[in-house]
Amino acid sequence: MILLEGPSRVLQQVLHTRVKNMEKPAEVDFHLVEFDDVRYHIQASAKDPQHVLLSIALPPPPPETVFSGGLPFGAMEAVNATYGPLIQVLDPPEAGFHLTIRLDLTKLAGTEVDHMQQMTKVASLRTIVLGAPLREILKHLASRTVAPDADNLVALLHRPRQSYFLIPQAEKVTVVFPMRYKDSNDVVLATSFLQEFMEARRSAGLSTAPPCLWSPSPPLELKGAPAHALDANSGFVSFVIFPRHVEPDKLERIVWNLSTFYAYVSYHIKCSKAFMHTRMRRRVENLIQALNRAKPDVEKKKKTAQGRSFKRLI
Amino acid sequence: MDAAGRPAVVIDNGTGYTKMGFAGNVEPCFIVPTVVAVNESFLGQTANQSKGGLSAFHSAGVMADLDFFIGEEALARTHANAYTLSYPIRHGQIENWDTMERFWQQCIFNYLRCDPEDHYFLLTESPLTAPENREYMGEIMFETFNVPGLYIATQAVLALAAGYTTSKLEMTGVVVDAGDGMTHVVPVADGYVIGSSIKSIPVAGRDLSIFVQQLMRERGERVPPEDSLDVARRVKEAYCYTCADIVKEFGKHDKEPSKYIKQWTGFNSKTGAPFSCDVGYERFLAPEVFFSPEIYSSDFTVPLPEVVDKCIQSAPIDTRRALYKNIVLSGGSTMFKDFQRRLQRDIKKLVDARSLASETRSGGDLKSQAVEVNVVGHPMQRFAVWFGGSLLASTPDFYNACHTKAEYEEYGSSICRLNPVFKGMY
Repeated sequence: MILLEGPSRVLQQVLHTRVKNMEKPAEVDFHLVEFDDVRYHIQASAKDPQHVLLSIALPPPPPETVFSGGLPFGAMEAVNATYGPLIQVLDPPEAGFHLTIRLDLTKLAGTEVDHMQQMTKVASLRTIVLGAPLREILKHLASRTVAPDADNLVALLHRPRQSYFLIPQAEKVTVVFPMRYKDSNDVVLATSFLQEFMEARRSAGLSTAPPCLWSPSPPLELKGAPAHALDANSGFVSFVIFPRHVEPDKLERIVWNLSTFYAYVSYHIKCSKAFMHTRMRRRVENLIQALNRAKPDVEKKKKTAQGRSFKRLI
Repeated sequence: MDAAGRPAVVIDNGTGYTKMGFAGNVEPCFIVPTVVAVNESFLGQTANQSKGGLSAFHSAGVMADLDFFIGEEALARTHANAYTLSYPIRHGQIENWDTMERFWQQCIFNYLRCDPEDHYFLLTESPLTAPENREYMGEIMFETFNVPGLYIATQAVLALAAGYTTSKLEMTGVVVDAGDGMTHVVPVADGYVIGSSIKSIPVAGRDLSIFVQQLMRERGERVPPEDSLDVARRVKEAYCYTCADIVKEFGKHDKEPSKYIKQWTGFNSKTGAPFSCDVGYERFLAPEVFFSPEIYSSDFTVPLPEVVDKCIQSAPIDTRRALYKNIVLSGGSTMFKDFQRRLQRDIKKLVDARSLASETRSGGDLKSQAVEVNVVGHPMQRFAVWFGGSLLASTPDFYNACHTKAEYEEYGSSICRLNPVFKGMY
């Protein structure tokens, strides 16, 4: 697995089994936590096979981002537009959560394959909600316009109390991620990983990918950003997104990949540590083998009174 | 938010299946086979052999590192040539740390999809794990995944804790843990495992599957050879039950074959052609292996009830009555119908015979108080260990009992050797 998948795996599994076994539904009640402190609560009872309740809670937003009613700007509209009649937004949401939707499985249309696709879409609720403002800006980019009311520096929620920044222009959108890691080893790995990322972009095969830049100090674009957003210990990564990257079939993927960039880097840091360990173990095994081969053969043959030799069992 | 504010991650790695989920839930989110399919086509080559020189060799190695699957996805690739299956856990012990590390990595990032830096972790180990293994486990968790806190619990203790919902929390009892790789009988007193009395039996779920496979093959059922073990496993899970008396059961089957003989239909995994076979005596013969092991192997012939009895007899004398009173079943191989009743009956028989013998020996002047034998099963038996873990990890005391990353950095991995019983346990 190189990229993280969009839909949440647990939700997907729960919803799929629910739709498949409509006749004999089971009691479902799961509390889940995902990357960057997104929490879910999915609930369905055995008595009422047609309905499933799904709540989502978002991480606490940093002050510079725009939030209305606990949700990112434009999220509610995005949810309604994506799911249509399949869901009903409950007001007020479940205590401790920011959005609760009630799925009505009788409203599922089409064949079984369609049902599964719709359920997978529900499992990607996080992208719909958290990615709403980003999607809006990228859509404007696709039509090569800038939203009339847009600022020239937009901050969006990335991690608990941390944000990433967008500079929307008619021809391109620059996305800047301040990267912060807690562990000092991780910081070293992250910086070299991100530099490698920038190098890789220069290779011939990736010439159509968004240009990527890493710098240890905040780039000039972030001039207007608040000071607390600029202390990143692993530097700043910026991507330049062009209209060709946001064609309709690519849009969802790019929204997901950008809004979980931190988790992606963190996943690869953990992976590379594991792979280093694998290589270290292999090396140690080889060295031990070499040592064992170098041992002098101490075993001597003993002779019995009859003159037969035998091997001594230790 | 502090990591202690989020639910802990509970992962129970068994020989056959891994159960994982978040603490506080009733069921694990995923139960997947503990197997990793790794792409090792790269390993045989050296830098000189590969075409693109050193850098191509390097990047091919990196790609092969990321190219692996776990669980069902791995099993689906059994027939693909590039992948080799690796079972990191054998007989309850982690043997292959490389693949185990990758397995955890996928569990955390691909299945549970959480950031390991945000959650406390509860892992489990078999009662016979060496302390060095525990250290290694801690090393991987703290170094690779940067977990904020870790607790490594013994499976038996968690299985006892799982009984919490059914009765008063009783941390004294014998756990009969029959999983896929190994069967352990573990006495626990007040949450502490009595290490010297642990008995283990080399008969478990996988042996039962092999036994079913053997029986079906001998009878000449038309099962494709490459699927036969898998079919045997499924037949075992679907149709096997424990009988009260094996001779009578044979009679019953012979009298009314239509009622007892079942049909199994499946598809050949390679050609997709359907096949069907009969399921006969193996329905009760497979679980019988626990009670009369001589029908399966000649190396090990002590029946399970006798092992449990011996185990309790070797425990400290003041705990024995309490141990007989609370014999807890856990693990998938104890799921056969009436397994609990049969085990209880057989142990009771042994205990009664002994007390009768001692009474006659004393000439009838000493009357002993009857020993209460109680075998407990509960609805969550299949993942009792995970459920117990989920229960304990949701108590506030759990976070204090955990080894934290700061402690690890201060004292090193030796802190993982000891995982004290904490108050939430009783």
